Amino acid sequence: MDPKLINDCVHCGFCLPTCPTYVLWGEEMDSPRGRIHLMKQHVEGTPVTPEMAGHFDACLGCMACVTACPSGVRYDRLIEQTRAEVERTHVRDPRDRAVRGLVFGLFPYPRRLRLLRPGLGIARRLAPFLARAHPGLGAMAGLAPEVARRQRLPRLVRARGPRRAVVGMLTGCVQGEFFPQVNAATARVLALEGCDVIVPAGQGCCGALSVHSGRRDQARRLARRTVRAFRKAGVETVVVNAAGCGSTMKEYGDLLGEEPGFRVVDLSEWLAELGPAAERHPLPVTVAYHDACHLAHAQGVRAQPRELLRGIPGLELREVPDSAVCCGSAGTYNIFEPEAARDLGDRKAKAVGSTGAELLVSANPGCTMQIAAAMRREGAAIRVAHTAEVLDASLRGVGL
Amino acid sequence: MLETGVTVRDPGPDDAVLGMLPRRVALPESVEEVAEVLRACARDDLAVVPVGGGTKLHWGPPPERFDVLLDLCCLNRVVEHAAGDLVVRAQAGVTMGALAGALAAEGQELALDAPFPDATVGGTLATAVAGPRAFRYGTARDLLIGVTVVLADGTVARSGGKVVKNVAGYDLGKLFTGSHGTLGVIAEAAFRLHPLPADRRWIVAVADPPGMAERGPCRVRELAATLAASQAEPSAVELDWPHGQGPIWMSVLVEGAAAAQRAEALAALMGDALRSVRAEPPPQWGAIVRDEVLAEVRFRPSRLTGVLDAVHYSGFSLRGSAVSGRMWLELWDDPGEDKTVTALRGLRERLTALGARMTVLATPYEGVDRWGEVSSLPLMRRVKEQFDPGRRMSPGRFAGGL
Amino acid sequence: MLDELTAALAGILPADSVITDPVRLRTYECDGLTYHRATPGVVVLPETAEQVAAVVRLCREAGVPFVARGSGTGLSGGALPREDGVLIVTSKMRRILEIDLPDRRAVVEPGVTNLAITEAVRDQGYYYAPDPSSQQICSIGGNVAENSGGAHCLKYGFTVNHVEACEIVTPDGDLVTLDRMDPGYDLLGAFVGSEGTLGIATKITVRLSRAPEAVTTVLAAFESIERGGEAVSAIIGAGIVPAAIEMMDALAIEAAEAAVACDYPRGAGAVLIVELDGPAQEVERQFAQLREICSGAFELRVAAGAEERAAIWKGRKSAFAAVGRISPAYIVQDGVVPRTALPRVLAEIDRLSAEHGIRVANVFHAGDGNLHPLVLFDDAEPGAGERAETVSGAILDLCIAHGGSITGEHGVGVDKAKHMPRMFSPDDLDTMQLVRCAFDPAGLSNPGKVFPTPRLCGEVPGVRKGAHPLVESGKAEQF
Repeated sequence: MDPKLINDCVHCGFCLPTCPTYVLWGEEMDSPRGRIHLMKQHVEGTPVTPEMAGHFDACLGCMACVTACPSGVRYDRLIEQTRAEVERTHVRDPRDRAVRGLVFGLFPYPRRLRLLRPGLGIARRLAPFLARAHPGLGAMAGLAPEVARRQRLPRLVRARGPRRAVVGMLTGCVQGEFFPQVNAATARVLALEGCDVIVPAGQGCCGALSVHSGRRDQARRLARRTVRAFRKAGVETVVVNAAGCGSTMKEYGDLLGEEPGFRVVDLSEWLAELGPAAERHPLPVTVAYHDACHLAHAQGVRAQPRELLRGIPGLELREVPDSAVCCGSAGTYNIFEPEAARDLGDRKAKAVGSTGAELLVSANPGCTMQIAAAMRREGAAIRVAHTAEVLDASLRGVGL
Repeated sequence: MLETGVTVRDPGPDDAVLGMLPRRVALPESVEEVAEVLRACARDDLAVVPVGGGTKLHWGPPPERFDVLLDLCCLNRVVEHAAGDLVVRAQAGVTMGALAGALAAEGQELALDAPFPDATVGGTLATAVAGPRAFRYGTARDLLIGVTVVLADGTVARSGGKVVKNVAGYDLGKLFTGSHGTLGVIAEAAFRLHPLPADRRWIVAVADPPGMAERGPCRVRELAATLAASQAEPSAVELDWPHGQGPIWMSVLVEGAAAAQRAEALAALMGDALRSVRAEPPPQWGAIVRDEVLAEVRFRPSRLTGVLDAVHYSGFSLRGSAVSGRMWLELWDDPGEDKTVTALRGLRERLTALGARMTVLATPYEGVDRWGEVSSLPLMRRVKEQFDPGRRMSPGRFAGGL
Repeated sequence: MLDELTAALAGILPADSVITDPVRLRTYECDGLTYHRATPGVVVLPETAEQVAAVVRLCREAGVPFVARGSGTGLSGGALPREDGVLIVTSKMRRILEIDLPDRRAVVEPGVTNLAITEAVRDQGYYYAPDPSSQQICSIGGNVAENSGGAHCLKYGFTVNHVEACEIVTPDGDLVTLDRMDPGYDLLGAFVGSEGTLGIATKITVRLSRAPEAVTTVLAAFESIERGGEAVSAIIGAGIVPAAIEMMDALAIEAAEAAVACDYPRGAGAVLIVELDGPAQEVERQFAQLREICSGAFELRVAAGAEERAAIWKGRKSAFAAVGRISPAYIVQDGVVPRTALPRVLAEIDRLSAEHGIRVANVFHAGDGNLHPLVLFDDAEPGAGERAETVSGAILDLCIAHGGSITGEHGVGVDKAKHMPRMFSPDDLDTMQLVRCAFDPAGLSNPGKVFPTPRLCGEVPGVRKGAHPLVESGKAEQF
């Protein structure tokens, strides 16, 4: 943990209202300011106590505090460094260790995930029993989505009409396996907007889950493979449709110590930059747009997805109250901190419900899984979609 | 007795407080002289009642004991008018009228309506009376930024200052505002000022009282709420209901740039109420007409209809702000002790049931419960004990016998 | 003694509401002012007024001091804990209990943030007027304790002008309601701004204000602070009371630019933010006057809508924390001078800055003369901290010398208690102390704040006039 980064914090407290755990519990040590204070204590010689580790683990890594901070504190870096330190020095409870091992041995590996697919329906039914073994297992099972049929994307999707650009596309691990329809929609939208889309094989997991949990070595291994795949494909721009992946890939320079050699952009960022070319067909639907933390806070992408959605005739966009506060999904958070994640999910579900929108749109699969599950619990199921799917429906003139 | 260098005279009939005459009248000419008088009173354990213009001296019960009337008429200097800072410092004996004149010369005003023009700065503060424009500008305590007080033992203490923004130390000014001379003597005060409004307009309208069913329900509350919520920002919405019977007069004040247009816009909101817009205040604007028997009602504006109902046929005239929820109950024809005591008791009962508060400020009758229940009275007693342990300052003249 | 008390506290509060773990306790060691630190003996996070009262009663019985804390954003160390005491944190008491628009009031718990009130009523066209820069996080309980102001208090006043009633826990542990409607002494007026020394607010009724029909926000860039200052004088002289007049000097602009890219006009020696609000016709006329008055500005921007207004304010509102971008360490000062003395005082600050080799960025509420000099220094440089302290203290002296105040809105807290005797006489302070003795004779409620060395209640002030004559003659007792 870099003491210089720690000292940037002037203790003003502007981060507090944006921090999901502070919003939940109202306690200093579960706020960004408090966690930085804990880091400072550690740097000054206090060993990582179980209490301390607990407060770090409780951080969702949503980075809302980074957006809110007027002093420019790099909490994102600090918490990553801290997590690595906790992983290195802190011995966890054996059951926690087992669940963490399971998750990190599973999620970053698309092929292992694929083996899990047929079991998802059963898993959801088993959730209450799994929860008794470990709350995290229950949460993991309860979130499991209905999976669309797997669609393999071709290596190259040609631009429709005049070609305006050539881009690479990240398929991701969770996105690719659990939400293949989102990747298909992304590729179609890019093509319809005049992009040649290159989908290199062997790109694997980008390393985001591992980075966010302090497993930097695993992250580096995964990242190198991803970089290699896109370099080989020779693209200058890589379009990413999952917020968590995008934010990690934009920081590859820091992770790997060298720039990857291509530019990473979020899908909405790219499309807004490119400007609309294809015709938008009307889509009469009310939409609540949810800011995925890793898009809004980590990448600062807020206006572009809204702009794209507003550009669809007939679509009515509604703002979600307290949109800056995380939904509780936060990568693997809903697995490791199921109770807090559930409370945050419930809050978000209420906020989304208050808009009265028919469709919830977000740029992150974790968020949509989390909020949809929370809304199901409330008995107010809502349809969910990725920004790409909404655009895809409008561009193709089909229903959602 | 009172052997100081300060001017002292024997009392005359005008110096009586509810029939009680002091033994001496002291006429200090400076803050230091006020302190000197109070030190002398402390030495000889003399009870003191401070007085400014004397307009409200009969408010409250008579003092438990009364030796010295401390007449602040000679403390009548406007000490400093810093026009560029919108601040004035004045001694307690300056009359509100004189102060207004001095400020108007620089195009400014103290946005505090005194119901009696001869009232002084000190007396206005000590009684914390509020006028129509309190709705926009707040009351005396909101405009006071600094105060110099003299305690019962002669200690001269200041709090606040002459800057508008200041949070250093306790705000003694607020504590002394409305303390009716029971904590010490207000000797000097500093206020924040406002520029004189560019223009003023009054809308005068007539509305029906409650219970006049054939012309529909009473719309006064509804009208007042509409006006209060209007973005044309009236400075005051006053009601005048003589004897609590017959039509209710409503007067709305609009101040500032474009007052005339804004007044027309507000008048248009008033539906079919009979009304006119004028450049002069209606008669008795902001005044207290009679105060032999006077009570103040405080209530939430949404309860206005209930307040009107309670006052209807009570014999009291109701005058004051419909939107700040602060009105005077004046008895213009005193039906005698028994009936007045009964009427006041009935009013308190009905008003208390509405969550409203009635305080009887002035009455010649001893059988009247002036204040009703005050939940923080134990704390107030402790404050009094700290400031005036010898009970020499207007003893017994305030809430709960403070 | 604290151990016994802690055990008793655990008996009356939910298990996770009593914090004793040393690592956790330390995160409460300071509020927004990090210069003063003390690890609290124990921290409690009550959820109801009754729990607060029970905690205070236990403290009183044990003779243990207690300190209340809201969001911990205060800038005078008003919530600095006591190592031998209990820190009562109200951040879990954050329910909005009632919103009553017909009566324009809201009843809230002390942990509710300032902005949350406005957000709850904004759609209905109302707002809560006091707006400290930290409004998105500072709590109403803290605002009440400090009598917080904000940029818009020039026209609308401070917290004290917008609080209708408070339920408080007295230092005796009693729940008492202080209401503006009640007859008797204005204890509410004395309580607001007493910095937690007279008790703890547990329920606050605030007045809501109607949103103005029109708001015009203007950003005027001037070559120098002097030119900006002249414009301010001219505005006041013209009989305009804007909702806010804020000024920032070049250094403060640089910091804000680095932090939030507020895009203020380049090369400005000072920017003035003037906000006019009220009825549309009034605002229109005042704006015409304002345009005339600001003709000396080299650039004048008028916000076209809410977004542009927010953009103009963003630089100003983030200015304090933003200074962290241009300096490793800094002191946020808060002083007041009569508005007309601003040019002289700013020139003096300039001189002090040059003399001590310490940079000072100026951000201030120009309309009411409330200065916020940011005294910058490098804490790694030996002696720099001391020089910054010297400059910072000298600025307060300037304020006093010009008839102003040592604090306009941050409060005295622990930080400025030592300056109080320079602004007030011993008699002034002793008299204020009488209020303290009435509320808190045992001196357990946030001791060590506001007053430098308070005399004990009942202690006779020696310097003044010897024993009280009545005590001497046996006619009165001392409390």
